[in-house]
Amino acid sequence: MPGTWPGMALLVLVVRAKLPMRLLAIDTALEACSVALLDGDTVAAQETQAMARGHAEALMPMLARLQENAAFYFAVIDRIAVTVGPGSFTGLRVGISAARGIALATAKPVVGITTLEALAAPLIAGDASSPVVSVIDARHNHVYLQAFGTDGDDLVSPRVVSLAEAIELVMPLRPRLVGNGAAMLAAAWPPGEAPPAGIDQQAAPMIEWVGRLGQLADIAAAPPKPFYLRAPDAQPPTPALAAQAARP
Amino acid sequence: MLVLGIETTCDETAAAVVERNTDGSARILSNVVLSQIEQHAAFGGVVPEIAARAHVEALDLIIDQAMREAGKSYDDLDGIAAAAGPGLIGGVIVGLTTAKAIALVKNKPLIAINHLEAHALTARLTDNTPFPYLLFLASGGHTQIVAVLGVGNYVRLGTTQDDAIGEAFDKTAKLLGLGYPGGPEVERQATRGDKERFALPRPMQHRKDADFSFSGLKTAVRLEAERIAPLSPQDVADMCASFQQAVVEVVHDRLRSGLRLFRARFGEPHALVAAGGVAANQAIRGALNRVAMETGTPLVAPPLNLCTDNGAMIAWAGIERLALGLTDAMDMAPRARWPLDASAAAEGARKRTAAYK
Repeated sequence: MPGTWPGMALLVLVVRAKLPMRLLAIDTALEACSVALLDGDTVAAQETQAMARGHAEALMPMLARLQENAAFYFAVIDRIAVTVGPGSFTGLRVGISAARGIALATAKPVVGITTLEALAAPLIAGDASSPVVSVIDARHNHVYLQAFGTDGDDLVSPRVVSLAEAIELVMPLRPRLVGNGAAMLAAAWPPGEAPPAGIDQQAAPMIEWVGRLGQLADIAAAPPKPFYLRAPDAQPPTPALAAQAARP
Repeated sequence: MLVLGIETTCDETAAAVVERNTDGSARILSNVVLSQIEQHAAFGGVVPEIAARAHVEALDLIIDQAMREAGKSYDDLDGIAAAAGPGLIGGVIVGLTTAKAIALVKNKPLIAINHLEAHALTARLTDNTPFPYLLFLASGGHTQIVAVLGVGNYVRLGTTQDDAIGEAFDKTAKLLGLGYPGGPEVERQATRGDKERFALPRPMQHRKDADFSFSGLKTAVRLEAERIAPLSPQDVADMCASFQQAVVEVVHDRLRSGLRLFRARFGEPHALVAAGGVAANQAIRGALNRVAMETGTPLVAPPLNLCTDNGAMIAWAGIERLALGLTDAMDMAPRARWPLDASAAAEGARKRTAAYK
């Protein structure tokens, strides 16, 4: 996923260009449940609700309302975009399952957008003066992060690191921080060092930008697969008697 | 009536298309099952997060394959059914959400199915068994004796107070250093073992209810094994045989008790129906046959691929419910716990049972 998308520099073009693409965007990876229908560069309809849990119940009624509020049905969309993480394992699977189910029934392609890209995109498109670091709380004093240069290039690839490691990685960039971990990382900034150039505490990506990145994404390079960044928390067991039984 | 069924409550990713003709006969047009056994084997049991990850990777491909094999399009369907629980919530979310998405796009009814209900109704898919009948459901996650009186009308007569039968087999296998899944391995070892060698308890035997308990048996196996450790291959085989014999005798006794309870409340059942993967065990199958013969009740045991988790049973339960106009809304919540009947749920809460895992 990292480095496989076409680069943020293109965003400036997208904002101005008239893409004829009709796209359904879904984000349930973090602390919001959001959907939008884009018709080219117009947002035909959208809805966002803040929520830490309950995406599995909320998403489908929200999609049904979206279809009613837009002037067109899912049957005529050209593409689906969904956030693939990093984020809540359960939350991102809700969105991906929905997107892939809609893709089955409409026979339309679906692309995966990382939450890190989607958080950074509006900042870079709006102001290219300093690097942007997307920071997502990964709990237990860890964060998911990715650093983007002013032209959208990948300065620090997506990873999960401790707060201390995060500071070491991104402090020299004097970046703007964005995401639900932005304030947390800023609070851990060493006193005496030049502070972050900006702190944009965002619970979740703006759904419109998930859609815009989705319109841009290369289908082959942005599969709608979960981007967990963390292995499942499971260890193979060491049964006591089994070891005994195996001995002669 | 044509329904797509989706099953993702444990470690099988499954989808199927089933058709019911106007004469009531059913035809399974496709039944695709992807097992995750290899992904869980190293852990000696199903790991919920690994299961959820595997479901989301595979489900759309499995559904696509099921639709292709059936030779049907989504527009041909009369409804989309998915298991909405009970089971591992991560997998249930994947299956139910995918089903909702297809139903929404195609403007078809969603039918949220209780996984246990699907097991309970499978005998009607395979054998057109009339209501009422006595169901013995035994798998890695469930052990229940249920009076099946009609669609949506179930009375739980007995359940386990701790481990499910399949779980007891798996834990015994793990203890003895055998592979996963443990059920088939214990059965294989038991064929060359002495079932009389170890005097293991028969928990719950001769009680008037139809409940099970396996934790005491599990402990007895562990104590015996520790007593004679290190275990020779013959010791392991004898332990498996003795354990399996204890389970068989308990199942026989509990089913007789369940039948008595059924007759007292609901009259004569049309059949004794087996469901769940444990029905694959030949010794337990023998106990079912014995009960059937002793009590003059016909035994209905669907083929093994319809006893273990599969999409066809979900599709069939979907057909049965859809025919009665029972459909579900788009905000239907996935459920980790979902007892078949409400009174059993209340009783279970009081008795601190752990039947639904």
